[in-house]
Amino acid sequence: VSSWEELVSTALVGTERRPLPEGLAGAAGAGGALSTASEPEAVLLDRAAVEVARRRAGRAAGRAEPLPPAPGERAPRAGPAAGRRLARMLAGDRDRLLPEWLAAAAARGLRVPEELLPELLERGHADRSLRPAIAAVAGARGRWLARLNRDWDYLLGEGGDPVRAAGEDREVWELGGPAERRGWLVSLRARDPGAAREALAATWASETPPDRLAFLQVLDDGLGAADEPFLEAALGDRRREVREAAAELLARLPGSELQRRAARRGRACLRRQHGRLRDRLVAEPPAELDKETERDGVRRRAPVGSGQRAWWLEQLLARAPLETWIGWLGETPAEIVGLQRDEWGEVVEAAWTQAAIAQRDAGWARALLERGASAGLLVALPPAERTSRAAARLRASRRLDTETLDMVLGLAGPWAGELAEAVLDKIARARDDGNLVALCHAAAERLAPELHAWVRSLRREHGAVAHLAATLRFRHEMLKELK
Amino acid sequence: MVDRWSREQVLALAPDASARVGAESVALPGPWSGTGCHSAGDEAALWGECKGSGAKPYRTCVELPAPAYRCTCPSRKFPCKHVLGLLLLWSEGAVPAAGAVPAWVAEWIEGRREREARTASRRERAERGDRAPQAASDPEAARRRGERRERRVAAGLDELDRWLRDQVRHGLAGAQRAGYQHWDAVAARMVDAQAAGVAGVLRRLVAVPASGEGWTGRLLEEYALLRLLTVAYRRGEELAEPLRETVRARVGFTVTREQVLAGPAVRDRWDVLGQRETQEDRLRMRRVWLRGRRSGRMALVLEFAAPGQPLDTSLAVGLGVDAELAFYPGVAGLRALVARRHATVPAEVPRGGTVADMLASYAAALAEDPWLDTWPALLGDVVPASDPDPGRDGAWSLADPSGAAAPLLPRAVGLPWPLLALSGGHPVTVAGEWTPAGLRPLTAWDGDGRAVVL
Repeated sequence: VSSWEELVSTALVGTERRPLPEGLAGAAGAGGALSTASEPEAVLLDRAAVEVARRRAGRAAGRAEPLPPAPGERAPRAGPAAGRRLARMLAGDRDRLLPEWLAAAAARGLRVPEELLPELLERGHADRSLRPAIAAVAGARGRWLARLNRDWDYLLGEGGDPVRAAGEDREVWELGGPAERRGWLVSLRARDPGAAREALAATWASETPPDRLAFLQVLDDGLGAADEPFLEAALGDRRREVREAAAELLARLPGSELQRRAARRGRACLRRQHGRLRDRLVAEPPAELDKETERDGVRRRAPVGSGQRAWWLEQLLARAPLETWIGWLGETPAEIVGLQRDEWGEVVEAAWTQAAIAQRDAGWARALLERGASAGLLVALPPAERTSRAAARLRASRRLDTETLDMVLGLAGPWAGELAEAVLDKIARARDDGNLVALCHAAAERLAPELHAWVRSLRREHGAVAHLAATLRFRHEMLKELK
Repeated sequence: MVDRWSREQVLALAPDASARVGAESVALPGPWSGTGCHSAGDEAALWGECKGSGAKPYRTCVELPAPAYRCTCPSRKFPCKHVLGLLLLWSEGAVPAAGAVPAWVAEWIEGRREREARTASRRERAERGDRAPQAASDPEAARRRGERRERRVAAGLDELDRWLRDQVRHGLAGAQRAGYQHWDAVAARMVDAQAAGVAGVLRRLVAVPASGEGWTGRLLEEYALLRLLTVAYRRGEELAEPLRETVRARVGFTVTREQVLAGPAVRDRWDVLGQRETQEDRLRMRRVWLRGRRSGRMALVLEFAAPGQPLDTSLAVGLGVDAELAFYPGVAGLRALVARRHATVPAEVPRGGTVADMLASYAAALAEDPWLDTWPALLGDVVPASDPDPGRDGAWSLADPSGAAAPLLPRAVGLPWPLLALSGGHPVTVAGEWTPAGLRPLTAWDGDGRAVVL
């Protein structure tokens, strides 16, 4: 026990209960030349003062293991102005625009200034949706940091490591952590889809359910006919989430057996009945759901508020490829959509709307939109047509009603050309209410930022419009700094 | 020409966070009218009228580069959000240039210059040594006042000495249950005894028993150093002049600004190494560390601001200033005032030393001033390192090229992620404060010479 520790333990108990450590007891002036005190407590304090100075002054350098150096970067660092703005956004100023900053930096092949990585990675920890965008600009330094902090190791699962070549180093797949292994698989899938599937198939039986789900979703990139047997086998997985993910992939795989089964089931529930005056659509919802259908991802239990058979019908119809109906119910989407319907008509239309959106089928979307179906179908149209249709709807609506607002809010940015004009025209003239505020807030993030001067020229005295002008200007400068 | 400020410079003037938010809300062209900017030589004025809740718009005016500002709004914040908003607009280039200033602005500027001239002449008189009338009239009374204070301090420190000995006699174990009152009561008596420095130390002790393992040792350290101070004050006559000044400063005797400025000044190009803000009682305090390029001398400038007032922003990290510094008396010779500022010079990456250099300079300083617990550190080519001792998992340090390592402050104080990110395992230069608990990094320079505030 060092003399300092003896002093501390004596002081802790108190000199009235414990004698001074040996060597100090009775030694008046033991504090050195400093003190001639003889009371034990004064002796102890004076001795301690000498020890404090001695220990502080005599402290020797330690030894420690320097961190391994991070590999060099390929991408250039974003400039100082861009970095300052990012720091500001990370501190909470207009942080809703972070995805745009990240996307613009990635598009220009820039990376985040190193010192901002911790806060950025912390954002990605809290918000999954930011992760791919963060991975694109984090550079080698980001991945180096992610290995030091468990909260950030998701970054290793995003692939796109700029330094390690894709899929090299099989050790990572065999020995790495879940996030790192996912990153390895993503990289390999991008380079050699077949090799990635085979690597996954080789370890599939020993993977945990969350890993099976995460790895299966990697196959979405580069999905091809060769993946079908593996995915078919995954339809028999013990975990429902894994089965459903496999079914979703197979549903997107053109010409898959699952698509053929879905088409057969769809046809079994819907036919065209010839009438004397007009033909009509007759739906026959299934009375029971067989095991094979459930295996293909159809859910048995209806959500609260839906009828059981209507729920089954909607799912079976929505899953059938839309071309199933051509030649079966009619020659064109317009003809089929125009047929008179029976009491299941609304369920049928909802199913087709889902299918047109999921299958991105412009022909069906047009036909359904003509019949006044949900504006959500706009996303299935090619971009130019989507914006011109939206602009036309916006111009046609006299007031900014909630339905029109929802349609506009459903359109991703950037809003330019005809659509931007229609939006600005509405902003200039719409009544001052919650809908105007909502439109301004969406426009602030989605309008082309060059339009900031135009917004100012509207001369509309309104807080939300001022916010819109300021945000557009902010984005305009932000993008300029990232050039 | 006055260079346009960056947004950060403007926002640094804000007295608090809510003023910053308020500034953003008026930094839009909407509520403003009649804004303008007129510059002449290296001075400029900005003005504008901002529509507020009242019928009459507020008139706001800012003079640069000082900056001096005025606004007719009733806010008690200084500067108010209108001043900050106007500056923000200007920093974005949204204030148009004007050929001349409006009459009301000219009037304000004139008024302010007159007031400034009056205070300057008063200060000059003080610097020349003209006594304030009261002191000049009766040197005898001043001497008596001084003696009275010495007696009060001496009596107070004797009482503190008894209190300290009582603590050790009864044992420190009780301190953990004692609570705030335990130290506050004795601190209040030290305030009465006009030993404010000692009172400050005592108040900070409240945190020690809650500081985790080893708190008894840390408390004993503080008690021992306080006892040492009481002894040193009592025996002041026997001490050499600079050490006596150090002891008196630590007890709480202050030296006036004028006295410091009257001493010799050191002219150099001073690089701003780092700064740290703390709250002392109700004052905001900023510690700014400087280092002379020629002399290699370290200096500490303290800036204070009352609540709601801005701190001076002229000494920003990564800036160099050609200036004369006047140092406070005392052995460590760190604390200084900017006596005269000549020019701002381009920043330079300071050349750092080794861990051994830092420890040796601290040891040498301790030999002269054993109470010194914060020492400027400037380390070159250091790499973050983890402690090989598994018992101290997560403890970080900085290792220099020789392999010698200095620990960073413990984990509880905050992890050094930005420093780790900046370095990436490559050598960096780090400026900070070395304390008995470890190094507190303040600024780091990466291989490209970029300065980053940590």
